[in-house]
Amino acid sequence: MVEREISYRLFAKEFNDSTFNIHPKSEQLNQSEGRAPNFLVTPAGLMVNRLFVVGVVTEIDNIGTENDLWRARVVDPTGAFIVYAGQYQPEAAVFLSTLEVPSYVSVVGKARTFEPEDGSVFVSIRPEEMNVVDASIRDRWIVDTAELTLDRINTFSDALSSGLKGSKLNEYLIKGGAPESLAEGIVLAFDYYHTGEGYLQGLKTALRDSLKSIDLTCSGVSAFEVGNQEFILGLMEEMDVGKGVDYGKLIETARFRGMSENAVEIVVRSLLSNGQCYEPKIGILKMVS
Amino acid sequence: MDYKLAPHIEELTKALGNTNERVIQEELETLLKFRVPMDEAKRTVLRKFKSNVFPVKQIKDLSSGAKTFEIAGRIIEIEEKAINLRGNASTIFSGTLADETGTCSFTAWFDFSLKRGDAICIKNSSTRSWHNRPELNFGERSEVLKLPDDAFPNVEELTRTSPKKLHDIGYSDMSISAVAMVVKLYHKNVKIRERNMKIIEGVIGDDTAKLPFTSWVPLPDVDIGSVVRFDGASVRMFRGLPSININENTSVTIVNPSLEEIPFTFESISQKPEPLPIGQILLKDGLFDVAAIGNIISVRPGSGIIQRCPVCNRVIQKNTCRVHGPTESFQDMRIKTILDDGTGAVSVMLNRELSEIVYGKSMFEAEEMIRTEMSRDEIFEDMKRVLTGRYLGVRGNTSRTEFGVTLVAESVWSPDDDITLRVSNLLELLEPVGENING
Repeated sequence: MVEREISYRLFAKEFNDSTFNIHPKSEQLNQSEGRAPNFLVTPAGLMVNRLFVVGVVTEIDNIGTENDLWRARVVDPTGAFIVYAGQYQPEAAVFLSTLEVPSYVSVVGKARTFEPEDGSVFVSIRPEEMNVVDASIRDRWIVDTAELTLDRINTFSDALSSGLKGSKLNEYLIKGGAPESLAEGIVLAFDYYHTGEGYLQGLKTALRDSLKSIDLTCSGVSAFEVGNQEFILGLMEEMDVGKGVDYGKLIETARFRGMSENAVEIVVRSLLSNGQCYEPKIGILKMVS
Repeated sequence: MDYKLAPHIEELTKALGNTNERVIQEELETLLKFRVPMDEAKRTVLRKFKSNVFPVKQIKDLSSGAKTFEIAGRIIEIEEKAINLRGNASTIFSGTLADETGTCSFTAWFDFSLKRGDAICIKNSSTRSWHNRPELNFGERSEVLKLPDDAFPNVEELTRTSPKKLHDIGYSDMSISAVAMVVKLYHKNVKIRERNMKIIEGVIGDDTAKLPFTSWVPLPDVDIGSVVRFDGASVRMFRGLPSININENTSVTIVNPSLEEIPFTFESISQKPEPLPIGQILLKDGLFDVAAIGNIISVRPGSGIIQRCPVCNRVIQKNTCRVHGPTESFQDMRIKTILDDGTGAVSVMLNRELSEIVYGKSMFEAEEMIRTEMSRDEIFEDMKRVLTGRYLGVRGNTSRTEFGVTLVAESVWSPDDDITLRVSNLLELLEPVGENING
């Protein structure tokens, strides 16, 4: 029997950096009784078919012309997953059509790619299950995802420093205890993206920033930052008369009260990424009440 | 016609290396008889025998339904059997094969003139499920080579049961020895072939795992907390979960823990098991008393308020049991979910009591809702709303069914371990050396 596909955990950055989709060869199809899935190979070597993400829905649009086609942005600390639900995902479509923005959601779905003629690749999620969740699940998802991603980065680093390639590398990784699909994914990713330490370091930085965005009051991040965040939240509450706060004015006011533009930017970015505020229009910030 | 075929057969034999020329010829002739064009026939024959370099397996790696592999071992037992195969009387040979990693039963569908003690290598062998274990099958299409006698230890050595840790017991163990502690024990009256028997059931454990056991003989002086050494206990498999059977051929001795070094205590065994990554749980078809934490990524149909047959407990629809026909029914509640932690996915079954805990409503409340405001389907939808995406910790036994590995939960909890600690550990690993944190 065919094992159920794992729902992989990965951040939006790694997902959106992926452009390499592999289809099963006809030979594999024969062997697995026609059930070999498509995989999206990420630059860090994950072969994703199904994934599980938790984030903030910041936009929902019905972009369909004849039939409903709902598009949603689900934001994690590193970027946004695009979710499309059309007539063949009726439950998710109904869910999105009534969902309030912003809210925390969990999404189980399949990785899809759209490759228009010009060679660009767009990745998205076709949802199987969606639900509203709370902030604690979002935080825990970030931690889980960071742990699993770091494991993968370390395996990839090890692969790079081994100097091996192809089937030799695959063998080496499996001997080192890597799951078969990861070993295969790393070999493929290395061939296709030429992933190097630079990319892995960038991903590590994204992990670090994500972790720091978690509920700052209890995760041991400096009191300085917590102070700044409270200050900005207070300021926004003060300035918001119902239509949100103009970003430029916020920076100006904060500077007037002794906070640098840079610091405001850091705080606002973290507020946006952990869903405490959102941008209903570009340049306008609104708090999540 | 033969002389026309000869060059083609030669070509195929060359391409296929060590496949028997006669077999190739037969295959080719059969195809030509059906007027398959020569090129197509050759292609088919090539494809059929191509993978003549078969992957090599050891007995411990066997799983049911494996095809075309090579395996070697020594014949421990072999017996000739006359059977009726689709109306034709025929002879098969069944017995036991062993290597250093374990033993397994086999059936040879063709006379390879094998005898007890032969060291053999079987090419193009397969397995099927027999008594819940993989059984080796080989026949006309297989090739059996005799190996030099020193290829494997002798029969006595291979049949001697070396002591095993409970975690390592699997399909390839027919009979084992181990040292373990009794952690649960109860007497049970059963009726077998019109005879009343008293048997003992319970759970034993060591520092690696716990397993259920059944004793068909009295165990004097053995009680909960006893450390026992048993030799020659037979192992039964059910859905991938081993159970230890003690019978008149098993020697059971009580070990005095103060005289021998025992790497476990009653406390260490009775502790709650540490949660394992699901990917690791899936490596074994069945595990006794394990724990996992993951997200409920799906609540499966069949969850909610269900009807059961009062005779056999099966789930029934429209008051008709598959086995007992039209019948009364009683209400029950259950939840079937898929738990996934990013390393693997396992089905989890929750009984009524646990369903009530995770759903947050009792069965009676749910029944009341059905009477007043909701349909049965809406209860299922409501469960999905309450549960999908949530974190859940579960503890129970796993076994392999036709739907993959299933964990039947005995307890559940909401994971509340401190994520602050995990965050600071991760940040430590991620913090580049020398970076100015205040920068």
